[in-house]
Amino acid sequence: MQWRKLRASFALHSRVLDQAGLLFRASVSVQHPIQGSLAFSNERQYRTMPTHGIGKYKHLLPKEAPKKKKERQQMKQIKTATDAEYGTLNVKVSGYDMILVEHYSQYIHNLCNRLGVKVAESYALPTKSTEVMVMPEQGTKMYVDAILKTHERIVQLSQLNATLCPTFMEVLLKNQPEGIQLSVKLHTEADYQARFKARPELEGLMAQMT
Amino acid sequence: MAAPCSRMANRPLWRFITNVRRTGLKHTGVRQISLSSACRAATQTRSKTEGVPSPWKLYGAVCLQRLPVISQERNPIEDQFAELMHQMELERSLLSDHEQRLLEDSERMTRKQADNYDSDEEEADYGGQETITAQDQEDTWEQKLKHFQPALRDRDVGGTPLGSVERCLGDSLVLLVQQTVGKETIWLLPQAQWEAGETLRQTAERGLSSLPEADFKATFLGNTPCGVYRYTFPKEVRTERCVGAKVFFFKAFLSAGSASQKEPFLWVKKTELQRYLKPPYLEKVDRFILNL
Repeated sequence: MQWRKLRASFALHSRVLDQAGLLFRASVSVQHPIQGSLAFSNERQYRTMPTHGIGKYKHLLPKEAPKKKKERQQMKQIKTATDAEYGTLNVKVSGYDMILVEHYSQYIHNLCNRLGVKVAESYALPTKSTEVMVMPEQGTKMYVDAILKTHERIVQLSQLNATLCPTFMEVLLKNQPEGIQLSVKLHTEADYQARFKARPELEGLMAQMT
Repeated sequence: MAAPCSRMANRPLWRFITNVRRTGLKHTGVRQISLSSACRAATQTRSKTEGVPSPWKLYGAVCLQRLPVISQERNPIEDQFAELMHQMELERSLLSDHEQRLLEDSERMTRKQADNYDSDEEEADYGGQETITAQDQEDTWEQKLKHFQPALRDRDVGGTPLGSVERCLGDSLVLLVQQTVGKETIWLLPQAQWEAGETLRQTAERGLSSLPEADFKATFLGNTPCGVYRYTFPKEVRTERCVGAKVFFFKAFLSAGSASQKEPFLWVKKTELQRYLKPPYLEKVDRFILNL
């Protein structure tokens, strides 16, 4: 035990001597200042040294919450209508021209921000492709004429004031572009579930369990 | 916007589902709006307050608007800008699938006509000739486009009468009606007097449906009025009971309607309102009609 202590003290002393030597070297030869500072930062000071823990800063920062793993997506609460406000409304914009659809949905979103209507979510539904088949007069076989893609965007509003609603709807209707269909509906859980993909393996397993 | 009427604040709210479609020009020249309402509870009628009735007569009026059917004409500046943007996009864009096909086909044709054409090599690369080239498809499409005749943008080349619904298809029009108020017949928005036991919105609906020889199907948006006009009667008519009248305006959109082209109706743009309405009335009405 004593031998170890001796050894430790010897190591300590040697360290001190080293540092003294370093300091001495630093003061003598200014041409290599980098070496000296590097040597300093690589070495952690011993506990009894006054400079122990000199570079510590993490204890000064505000405490962060421990990072959780991503939780399963929960549905946001669907608000019900009260006397003065509507509940969760889905404003659906659909059409064939994607540029017009997107620009119009962005316009609605910006309008809501400006008027103070809270926008809960703003998402897109998958594009539906429609094939237009043409049957010629002579033959019986139909052939594909064109493929039309229907794009849909949904802006979900949470608290639309009843006094603001007529003006809001009027602005929307008067600014509707050509070829765009606008539809305002109440948000239901079925709408929310329709966004998810069906998982056939999971359903098969569930059916097997029951 | 005028403050909402105090009576309205206590009414239960009507939730509604609106489906609006902007389709091509139809014969009626009117946008289709379908509405299905689901009310939470049956409308409760407010019990009449006991005591002295107020000295103001109440009217409910409806501001029926026909939404524009086609898009508005562009300014010269807007035209120039649109052209400039179009050209910039064209210059910056990449080739589409169809254009790439065209290029490949033309290259193949030139290679075929060259002297050192090796047909076996070509077949191996492309795996059989395609019977329809991209150029052929373009030609067929151009032929189809020639057959297509778009409808005229503005039908009233000759100038349709002011009473027609299909007047200015690019603007929104307001319905004006000639009614007798007091002693004079003046142009105003269709109105009806409020009776006890009904909401003001129902009054407005009644005012619209009671118009002679016209059935307009209107969609009201919400229970709140959009404006109010208050006037006092001239001194001869004024009594203790009725000092004046207050008119509450409700906004509605025309969903389907047909009217015989009779005199009492007018569909006017906002800029033409001042020719028909009286100045104090116009001042209040102007505030809530949007010129979009």
